[in-house]
Amino acid sequence: MSVATPAELEAFRDSVRDWCRSHVPADWRTAQTGVGEDEHVAFQKDWFQELRQAGYAVPHWPAEWGGGLSVAEQIVLYQELAAHDAPRLVLAFVAIHHAASTLLAAGTDEQRARHLPAILEGEIWVQGFSEPEAGSDLASLRTTARRDGDHYVVNGQKLWSSGATHSDWCLLLARTDPGAPKRRGISYFLMDMRSAGVDVRPIRQATGEWHFAEIFLDDVAIPATQLVGTENDGWRVAQATLGAERGMTMLELAERLGHAGFRWLLDACCRPVAGGRPLDDPAVQERLAGFETEIQGLRALCRGLAERHETGAVGPADASIVKLYYSELLQRMTDFGAEVAGLPAQTELRKPASSGWESGAWVLDFIGSWEWTIPGGTSEIQRTIIAERGLGMPRGPER
Amino acid sequence: MSADLTEFHAELRGVARAVLARRPPGEGAPGPDGLSWERLAETGWLGLEVPEALGGAGATLAEAAVVLHEMGRAPQSCAYLGGAVLGAGLLALLEPHAGRDELFAGLASGAIRPAVGLATGEGAPLGAAPFALERRGGHGVVHGEAGFVPDAVGADRLLLLARDGRSTVVVATSPGAAGLQVAPQPVVDETRSLGRITAAGVEVDAADLWPLAADPAGLVDRGALAVACDSLGLAEAMLEATVAYAGVRHQFDRPIGSFQAVQHACADMLVQVAVGRELVAAAVAGLAAGEPDAARTVSMAKAHVGAAAVDVVGKAMQLHGGIGYTWESGVHVYLKRAILNRSLFGSPGAHRRRVARRYLGERGAAPE
Repeated sequence: MSVATPAELEAFRDSVRDWCRSHVPADWRTAQTGVGEDEHVAFQKDWFQELRQAGYAVPHWPAEWGGGLSVAEQIVLYQELAAHDAPRLVLAFVAIHHAASTLLAAGTDEQRARHLPAILEGEIWVQGFSEPEAGSDLASLRTTARRDGDHYVVNGQKLWSSGATHSDWCLLLARTDPGAPKRRGISYFLMDMRSAGVDVRPIRQATGEWHFAEIFLDDVAIPATQLVGTENDGWRVAQATLGAERGMTMLELAERLGHAGFRWLLDACCRPVAGGRPLDDPAVQERLAGFETEIQGLRALCRGLAERHETGAVGPADASIVKLYYSELLQRMTDFGAEVAGLPAQTELRKPASSGWESGAWVLDFIGSWEWTIPGGTSEIQRTIIAERGLGMPRGPER
Repeated sequence: MSADLTEFHAELRGVARAVLARRPPGEGAPGPDGLSWERLAETGWLGLEVPEALGGAGATLAEAAVVLHEMGRAPQSCAYLGGAVLGAGLLALLEPHAGRDELFAGLASGAIRPAVGLATGEGAPLGAAPFALERRGGHGVVHGEAGFVPDAVGADRLLLLARDGRSTVVVATSPGAAGLQVAPQPVVDETRSLGRITAAGVEVDAADLWPLAADPAGLVDRGALAVACDSLGLAEAMLEATVAYAGVRHQFDRPIGSFQAVQHACADMLVQVAVGRELVAAAVAGLAAGEPDAARTVSMAKAHVGAAAVDVVGKAMQLHGGIGYTWESGVHVYLKRAILNRSLFGSPGAHRRRVARRYLGERGAAPE
């Protein structure tokens, strides 16, 4: 990958700006507020294709599969998309990040050829990891996959799968050796969500939305060709692909926070409440400066992580540091947004679908911030990973 | 950063760590015993920012930052901040002339130890000149005072920032001058030497009034960033010490580092250090290169790291338990220095307000 000169990078920025001006739908926020599920899915798929045609949908993928932008270019792209208040790819998130990185790192040539182009055509993926009795202790999962000739027969229940109602494929962890120690008997599968025996039931979350779902699996047949890596090696595959992947997903979110989220917060501080403008309060000014400082720190951390990802030098806890810091910063910022925006903010009953984690509907954004501090390894689990893997502290009692 | 520079920094860091790790015989804990000016001269650090033609290394603040960071990791008394970092910083702002060159050369060799009379967070606002010059024909008379000046006591030459009409001039004087007083200001942190310079009608020749070629307000940024580098070093060292201690100290038949309460506190310390490292790196790069928004990045780094270091070192004392509270453990040395650093060259609040000025500029000031 060639390193762009500052002039080339600025030229790239100009081209992204031009593209944003002519492609970001002016009224999408209004249109996406209170929108029906089908309409939301259609909007997301259309927007994905728009970005894809410009070469902006999967910039972090290798060039041979349709990506190939450098980290510096990706940062510019994400900055401009945020600055122009472009919709986010919320439904494609698992497909373009988790599924793609798993396939690229551990998939067979056939699996890549089948799925990567299909993702570009709009296939939606969901993650089937957590279960009712396997949350933070993910390795204790109970869903089983029994080999039967040229396929596996899967039974069990998955929980918290975000976007499952609209998904075409599932990244599934299931137990293939019930007798082995818990981390060594798990396998990693690609499961077609249209298979017989797959039943999806949406779950309503604290914000009132229905992003999550339960997936019930009743004698679902998965062809053996859809196994990723070798049998019983699924835990290692999941750890290897998902940890490193975090850096690339965070790059976009950090730039979004810096180039849209902070501006929204500043806007909120400029709306008069109870006779005054929050921005004129020195205490508010200090809080704002503190947040902007922390965002600068976060952005630099994410950039460093993405660059080390490219050179294969990611530290064992780097991704956890970034996930933990982003989650808690988002929570503190949205909390502050809800506080300064005051009573008027309480009347925003819906946030626009397709928006960022900081949409400007501060009360709902604040409530939604727990969707960062709990899933994907809670903040407590991240701290344990940072201590044990990053700092090399002694492991706690056998888990 | 180029590969050459990265390598140079690594070498400088390695040497600094070794030099600073040496302690007087029988002294286990870091403390005020210190590194003499002569010893500092031998290390070559005094001349880092002195031009090569005047006997220095012709390096930049980025290299001094490496040394400052290491001094935070092993805090002990020395006049590097007041003499070399602020001294060289001020000399670089002057119009070139013989007096300046003599001082630059004296600094590099260690023959002269300068100190700079500037506002560091008490009395005059940060960045303002604390002294006033009154011109009388061929000479001038100086009044005013500057408190909490790093390494003022023991300096051979005093360079005072003085208001001269609408501009600022540097008054070059010496501790023996009539009407000039340099008094120590003992502070809780024994590893820093701070002093108050008072000028009550000090008469100076016109030749000792040195014009500035650049705005001296940037000196405060230099001081603030130097202290931020130091605080980062303090926090880093205390995190490492705490992780090491938690691995060997056993309670309930387990190393205390295996308890989640201890692990999670250490994880938070690491996150704060990691964020601080990024902010300091950005500020050092910006100030060393003279980028237009350097002051802002310095304020971000100083505000964040200044406060974070106190949190981190405070947690280190907590996690060391009873032993951490003893004088002998030395954790208090780090904590006191971190608390002083937080206030020196602008509090976190003062720096955050400086960052916030832009919001008011962009969004309009308050309606009257």
